[in-house]
Amino acid sequence: MKTYGTEPGAPTPVQVGISELVVSDGDDTLKSYGLGSCLAIALYDPNTNIGGLAHVMLPDGDTADNSDRKPGKYADTAIRALLRRMVEQGANYTAVEAKIAGGSDMFEFESFGDGVGQRNIAAAKTELEKLGVPLEAEDVGGEYGRTVEFTPGTGTLVVKTSDGDNGVTEL
Amino acid sequence: MKLDVNALGTFYRMAREGAGLAAGRLTHMLGVETKVGVTKLNFMRGQEIRRDFEDATEKVGVRVKLTGGIEGYSVVVFERENALRIVETLLAEAGPDADVDANVDELDGFDEMTESAATEVGHIMNSGFIDGWADVLETVIDVSTPEFVEGQTAEPFFGDIDEAPADDDLALLFQSQIETVGTEVGFSHYLFPKRESMSKLLEQLRTSEGIEYDKLDGFDRMAERGAEEVAKTATTLTGIDTSVDIRRLNFVSLEAIPEQVANEKLVGVAFEFDGMPSGYLLFLFDEESAHEIVDAMVPMEVDEDGFGEMGTSAIKELGNIMASGFLDGWANVLDTTIDHSTPEFIHDIGAAAVDPVIIQLGENQDFAFVFDTVVMADGREFDCEVYAIPDESDLERALNNLDVDRIEETPTTAEFQEVDNT
Repeated sequence: MKTYGTEPGAPTPVQVGISELVVSDGDDTLKSYGLGSCLAIALYDPNTNIGGLAHVMLPDGDTADNSDRKPGKYADTAIRALLRRMVEQGANYTAVEAKIAGGSDMFEFESFGDGVGQRNIAAAKTELEKLGVPLEAEDVGGEYGRTVEFTPGTGTLVVKTSDGDNGVTEL
Repeated sequence: MKLDVNALGTFYRMAREGAGLAAGRLTHMLGVETKVGVTKLNFMRGQEIRRDFEDATEKVGVRVKLTGGIEGYSVVVFERENALRIVETLLAEAGPDADVDANVDELDGFDEMTESAATEVGHIMNSGFIDGWADVLETVIDVSTPEFVEGQTAEPFFGDIDEAPADDDLALLFQSQIETVGTEVGFSHYLFPKRESMSKLLEQLRTSEGIEYDKLDGFDRMAERGAEEVAKTATTLTGIDTSVDIRRLNFVSLEAIPEQVANEKLVGVAFEFDGMPSGYLLFLFDEESAHEIVDAMVPMEVDEDGFGEMGTSAIKELGNIMASGFLDGWANVLDTTIDHSTPEFIHDIGAAAVDPVIIQLGENQDFAFVFDTVVMADGREFDCEVYAIPDESDLERALNNLDVDRIEETPTTAEFQEVDNT
């Protein structure tokens, strides 16, 4: 969801909706709600505090014809777009690290095949490896939803499940 | 007049673009943060639009007549109280020199000054939308001078507009919500295009064979029958009197579907269905409603934390029978059979239950028709949201196969009832 206009000091975390990606260089918190089979991909450069969060929906953008317009929709194109925008803002490519969360398989429907969540996880890992970005931490799979909060300044990815206080993991 | 998904997709982009521009201008004008809520294309009958307005709240609207690229009317509608609040903010921005009493509690009516300020705001919003559409369509749309409307029913807003749909006519509506962050001032926006103008646009934008506009009637009949079956089943199984509160047919981008679901822990039952059309069906309850249902369906006292084996199986059973009723309603209208899977139970953050479905559909489509239904009970907690999301190409085929004359013969029985949900 896009927010128009900014109020200085507004404490609201920046919401990263499905198929969106946001890059930030401050103490902003980037938040994605209710990830089921979608995957949250967080990249950050610990030296410059520049980082970003993508909320991807599908694995493969290279074969889709709208991935130029919506790079954040696909795991592969989202990772490349995040990296490019971070480098443009001054991040050092070789220092960038990654954390991922989400990719559950909520339902066992016949039409889902191997699982829509698994496909997203696999695609993200392949792309990160291809680009030489180390995957520092992950909280993926399972059969439950997650809400994530990422602070690029510290590289902390907080993952919450619907179990209240018991369901908070810090990556 | 024929339409296809590409044409509707362009309309959807128009609505999004327009809402974005309108929000940007509101921010500029009021100096407050704004955001665009869910944007939808809605197929609604005239009587439902009128019913929407009859919720006893005072509303004000600003409407303009459009000519050129799109012909018809564009209307921005605020709740009266919200309009006053916006005017208050606006006049406060104008500085202390402005000679106004900007206290909303004392502003109990629109005087010349506040009315003209409200009209200005509404006009700027309208222009935002219209500029957005003109951008997407790469055309010019001319706008008349704005007109200020006030009232409690639809009559003063649409009564004298020829383009507004008659009770039984299906209209394509653009609905957008813009909220100011923190203050929750939302408003709705309606576009009533002239039929000929709409038809010309659809013709331009259509890239496939598409479906006859009149067959959309079949859509509406499907929605009606499905909703009616759900309410009936729920009442039979739980003994709680329920009725259909909202029934909408929306055309939205896939990404917008989870955004619409409450951001809280919900209880749900999900199905995949197979036939013509195939797709996914979800029933979502808030936790309190789910507990009420378990209490109503399981006669003995159950001592379970959350939803244990008994609770889960009761809800799954209810879901299963509601799903059969819903899909039978569809199959009846479409004269076909639709099978559904066994139920999958979910107790999790609402959006997490919806995203696997949109991911699966997202492999082949960007948009979806969503049959949105809310069933409520009188006096007790039973709020059930139903999302039926069919595969797009299947749905197009199913509708094309539909014999419009046959729809006329299928009796309409669903009735909206007043539900006291306070």
